[in-house]
Amino acid sequence: MSRLWRYVGWGVVLALTGLATWFVFSPVALAQTGSQNGTQNASCLACHAKPSLGTVTVNGVTKSLTIDQAHWNASVHSLLDCTSCHVGFTAGQHSAAETQGWYRMAMFTACSNCHANDATAFAGSIHGKLLASGNTRAPMCGSCHGSHAIMNVSTPAFRSSILPMCEQCHGGHAQTYLDTYHGQAFVLGNERTAVCTDCHGAHNILPASDPASTISAQHVVATCAKCHAGANSNFASYKVHVDPSSPHSSIWVWFFWIAYVMLISVVFTFGGVHSFLYFYRGRKEGMYRRGKH
Amino acid sequence: MASIDRQRLSSGRDVHLSGNVITPGTVRLEYKRFNAFHRWMHFFTMVSFTVLVFTGMPLKYKTNVLAKFSMDLIGGPQSASILHRLAALVTVFYFVCELGYLAWYVLKRKGPLWGPGTITPGKKDWEDIKAMFRWFLGKGPYPEFDRFTYWEKFDFWSLAAGTVIIGTTGFMMWFPVETTKLLPGIFLNIALVIHSSEALLAVGVIFLFVHFFSAHLKPGTFPMDKVIFEGSLPVDHYAEERPREYQRRVAEGSLEQVLVQPWEGAKGAVAKVIWWAITIIALFGAFAFGVFLVWVTLQWIGVI
Repeated sequence: MSRLWRYVGWGVVLALTGLATWFVFSPVALAQTGSQNGTQNASCLACHAKPSLGTVTVNGVTKSLTIDQAHWNASVHSLLDCTSCHVGFTAGQHSAAETQGWYRMAMFTACSNCHANDATAFAGSIHGKLLASGNTRAPMCGSCHGSHAIMNVSTPAFRSSILPMCEQCHGGHAQTYLDTYHGQAFVLGNERTAVCTDCHGAHNILPASDPASTISAQHVVATCAKCHAGANSNFASYKVHVDPSSPHSSIWVWFFWIAYVMLISVVFTFGGVHSFLYFYRGRKEGMYRRGKH
Repeated sequence: MASIDRQRLSSGRDVHLSGNVITPGTVRLEYKRFNAFHRWMHFFTMVSFTVLVFTGMPLKYKTNVLAKFSMDLIGGPQSASILHRLAALVTVFYFVCELGYLAWYVLKRKGPLWGPGTITPGKKDWEDIKAMFRWFLGKGPYPEFDRFTYWEKFDFWSLAAGTVIIGTTGFMMWFPVETTKLLPGIFLNIALVIHSSEALLAVGVIFLFVHFFSAHLKPGTFPMDKVIFEGSLPVDHYAEERPREYQRRVAEGSLEQVLVQPWEGAKGAVAKVIWWAITIIALFGAFAFGVFLVWVTLQWIGVI
C-alpha cells in the first residue's frame, strides 16, 4: 500500500514538473515575457490610450491616433512592440523626420520584415503592381489585414471578413458571388464554402488573363479541383460572376431569368385576381357560413 | 360523424343513392374520393415540399432577416443542404410511385386517360373558367364541377411539371462534376436560375394561389378540407361540390363502388391536434408568403 502511495507521489511530482516546463515555454508564458517588452508599449500608450488625442489624415483617410486596447490585445500581434511596425519612432513628441512615411511603413513596408514570402508574392500580384505604380487606391497589407486588430487568418472570423474587405473595391463582383450557392451559404453561416480568396488567391492575386493566375486558363481547373475532385474544363467554365438580370452578363442565363419573371408575374397575377374574386363573391353569397363548395 | 350527417341531411336535401332515396339519419356511408395511395402520395409531397421550401428559400432570399433566423433554427446551411437532399430523395420516391401508378392505371386497370372524371385538362375546364368568372361578377350560376376542378388540375400538373424541372436542375447542381462531364459550365448557371425561379413559382402556387387557396382559404372550405387525409366525405356534401361526377355515377349505377365507412383513423383529441396543426402551419405559410410577396413586389418596383 505504501508502495502505491510512493508511485502516486512521484507521479504528482513528475506531472507538476511537466506542467511547469510546459508553462515556461508555452504561449501563455511567452505572453508574460511579452508584457515585459510591453513596458515600452506602455510608454506609447501613456499618450495613445487617450481618446482626446485626435486624428490624423493620410492619403485622404482619417485615422484616429487613439489605440483601442481591447482590439490590440485581441490581435495576433499583441505581443509585439509598437516600434516593430512603427519603425524608428521614439518616445516623447515625434519629430517630423520620424513621422515621414509612417503610414506606408506601418501598413506595408514593416510587414515584410517578418512576412517576407507573403511580401514577395504580393509584389508580383496585380495589387502589388498597382501599389508600385503609385496608385493611391492600391491596397497595402493593412488594407485587408487591418492594423492594430490583425486577426489570425486561420480563424472563422477572419474568413468571414474576406468578402467585406474585397467588397470595398469590388462591389459588383461581391454581389454576383452572393447570388451563387457559395455566396448564399457563406452569408447564412457556412464557413467552409468558397470565398473570394479560395479561387483568386490571397497575396498572389492576378487577372485571369495572366497565365500565372489561379483562375487563368492554365490553372483554373486545378483551382476548382481543390474542392471539386474530378472537375474538368467544362466545370471550370461555370460563370461565378453573372448577373441574371442583365443580358450583357450572359444572354442564356438572362433568357431563362426573364422568361421566369414573366411566367411568375402572369401566374401570380391571375391567381391573385381569381382568389380575390372568389373571396368577394363567396362572402357575398354567404359561403363561409354555409360551408359548401 | 353520424350526427354531422344527420345535420347536413336535415338541411332538407334528399340523397339519391343508386335510385334509392335515403332519408335523414339512415346514412353513415361516405363518398370515397381518395384511396390510400393518393393519400400517402399527398403525405409524402406535403412533408418533402415543406422541408424543401424551408431549407431552400432562405438561400434565395439570403439577406432577409427570416432567412438567417430559419437557417439558424435548422442548424445552418450545412444541415439545410443535407435535409434538402433527403427531401429531394423523398420527392424522387413519390414521383416514381406516381409513374408506377400511372402504368398500373393504364395497363392493368385500363382506365380512361381523358374525358369526364379524369385529371387531364379538357374543353369543359375552359367552359368552367368562363362560367366561374361570370359567377364572380354575379352573372351566372356556380359551375357544376366534375371529379377535379380546373384549379385542382392546374395544381396537379404544375406540381408534376415543376417536379421534373426542379428535380432535373437540382440533381445537376447536386452532381456538378458529373453534369459538366457532359455539358458546358453555363448549364449550371442556368440550372440555378431555373431551380430558384421555379421554386418561387411553386411556393406561390402551393402556399397561396392554388393549393392553399383551394384546400384551406376559399369560401366554404376555410379553414381546412380534410378529405385528402380522411379519404372520404359525406355523400350529400360531395354531391353538391362535384355534381357532375355524382350524377354520372348515379346514372351509371356505379355510386355504390365508392361508398365506404367513414374513416376511423384519427378521432377525438389527437385528430383535433393534427388537423389544427396542419391548418395553422398552412394558414401561417399562406399569410407569411402573402406578406412576403407584397414586400418583395414593393421593393422591386422601388416603393420601399
